[in-house]
Amino acid sequence: MRSENRAPKSLTLAAIGGLLFLHLPIALIFLYAFTTEERTYQFPPPGLTLKWFAVAWNRADIWPPLYLSLRVAAVATLMALVLGTLCAAAMARARFFGRDQLSLLIILPIALPGVITGMSLRSAFSLMDIPFSTLTIILGHATFCIVIVYNNAVARFRRLSGSITEASADLGANSFQTFRYILLPNLGSALLAGAMLAFALSFDEVIVTTFTAGQQSTLPIWMLQELVRPRQRPVTNVVAIVVFATTFIPILIAYYLTRGGSETAGGGK
Amino acid sequence: MTAAVEFQTVSRHFGPVRAVDEVNLSVAEGTFFAMLGPSGSGKTTCLRLISGFEKPTHGAIRIFGQDVSNTPPNRRNVNTVFQDYALFPHLNVRENVGYGLMVKGVGRATRNAKADEMLALVKLDGFGERKPGQLSGGQRQRVALARALVNEPRVLLLDEPLGALDLKLREAMQDELKALQKRLGITFVFVTHDQGEALSMADRLAVFNHGKIAQIGTPEEIYSRPRTHFVADFVGSSNVLPPDLVQRLGAPPTWASLRPEALRLTAAQGAVLSGAIIGLRYLGAGTRVTVAVAGAEIGVLVPSGAQLPEAGAEVGIAFDLADLHPMEEA
Repeated sequence: MRSENRAPKSLTLAAIGGLLFLHLPIALIFLYAFTTEERTYQFPPPGLTLKWFAVAWNRADIWPPLYLSLRVAAVATLMALVLGTLCAAAMARARFFGRDQLSLLIILPIALPGVITGMSLRSAFSLMDIPFSTLTIILGHATFCIVIVYNNAVARFRRLSGSITEASADLGANSFQTFRYILLPNLGSALLAGAMLAFALSFDEVIVTTFTAGQQSTLPIWMLQELVRPRQRPVTNVVAIVVFATTFIPILIAYYLTRGGSETAGGGK
Repeated sequence: MTAAVEFQTVSRHFGPVRAVDEVNLSVAEGTFFAMLGPSGSGKTTCLRLISGFEKPTHGAIRIFGQDVSNTPPNRRNVNTVFQDYALFPHLNVRENVGYGLMVKGVGRATRNAKADEMLALVKLDGFGERKPGQLSGGQRQRVALARALVNEPRVLLLDEPLGALDLKLREAMQDELKALQKRLGITFVFVTHDQGEALSMADRLAVFNHGKIAQIGTPEEIYSRPRTHFVADFVGSSNVLPPDLVQRLGAPPTWASLRPEALRLTAAQGAVLSGAIIGLRYLGAGTRVTVAVAGAEIGVLVPSGAQLPEAGAEVGIAFDLADLHPMEEA
């Protein structure tokens, strides 16, 4: 049993090589957060230290970008939650001409290169005389956050028996009650997962942000600027670890929330 | 007496499709009313017009005399047992049954007591804590029934409720539904494509075809005197005789129906109808013998135990002229 199903050695080696190629740089980023040398990334690091965490904590220029990133991600996610869920509800329920095309239009922002989204938003904001600010960054991020929430919600809607909302109305519930007592409990985990993914995506977004930001910089943009001038370089790596944790953990949670799912919805069917 | 449900030239069109086409219908209070027809005949749309999930394109729908054409489903005093049961997967059985009371603001204690009472009515005592996913098909069906009855509707709508059950369970549920309807005394409107189910359960039934009612009457009327070719065919495979053949039998020349069980096989000589046997089909309680008579095929039901002729043999067919029922149209 054991030997028959094993891949040939060469393939195993290639797979290991590929994984190392993908993930070793990430490990290096973590490693250089602890190096004692602050100008170049020399290997191996001459010594290890924890002092950069303290230095990063005390650097005043890190906090505004961090707050901005958190605020943008939170507000963009919130907008996406409302709009994406409404979109999904409408698309799941309605059958009309051009429905599939419309569905494609909703999903398009995620497939579109960030440069294109960024450029088009930038020119649109200029045309409408909207000054570049936190608001424009949020709107830019919302375009792709909506897609994430929409995709999650639409998949869950599809799994739900369509008649449970009818059954709820039939038993005397108004639309609000049906939403509160039937839809929300069944959509909850899908929406939470969508929100977490959207948050993670927004938190480390660079391209669209570059086009839609005014003077302020989000955390990823701050990192980009920081890498250019070699002063206290390991601080950037410390921030990288923070960004990694803030995006990776929500994605992991989202994965577990939507993994099985058979017990959450449609189980009565 | 006002009818429980009344349709006045009701139509429901979906684009060019006339799902329901100028239907007139009156369901008396306290009856078990079945809507029978093949899929796409408009029976389910009629049910959804009563529950309020569809709005009529034309015409008026009245429930106990009140025009409900513009009343949303949640304000109608009717409840539905859905085809796929549509139980709420995240609620347990008691919460499912109590849902209708919950949204009306009834307190938890009263709600639970009433839900347990309904569960007892459908013989599911002690199942309150379970989730729908832990129940069998038959049990889910009972929960759906209890949930629909908890609001004490004056009309209960059932959309092919037994379709997903196996034969044995289906027969048991047929008896039980019928008994429940008698006991509660409320009006049941039941949609089915199974003619046996409609005939055995309903007090009155409407046969649907292409969005129109082909015939409406008691099961006996419909079974023994089908008015159209479609009804004769759909409700228990009657023989349909063309006018010229009917005239030869000494009746006025119209299309006519003849039930297979009203016929007897005799010797070919001297019989009004005779021909060669072209098929024998064993049905358990009897055998259906198909005889080719003057261009038509006539089925004769021979009860089990009687002697059966061979395929190909020439036989005669005898019957009472009283069993020959003229039909209004072909």
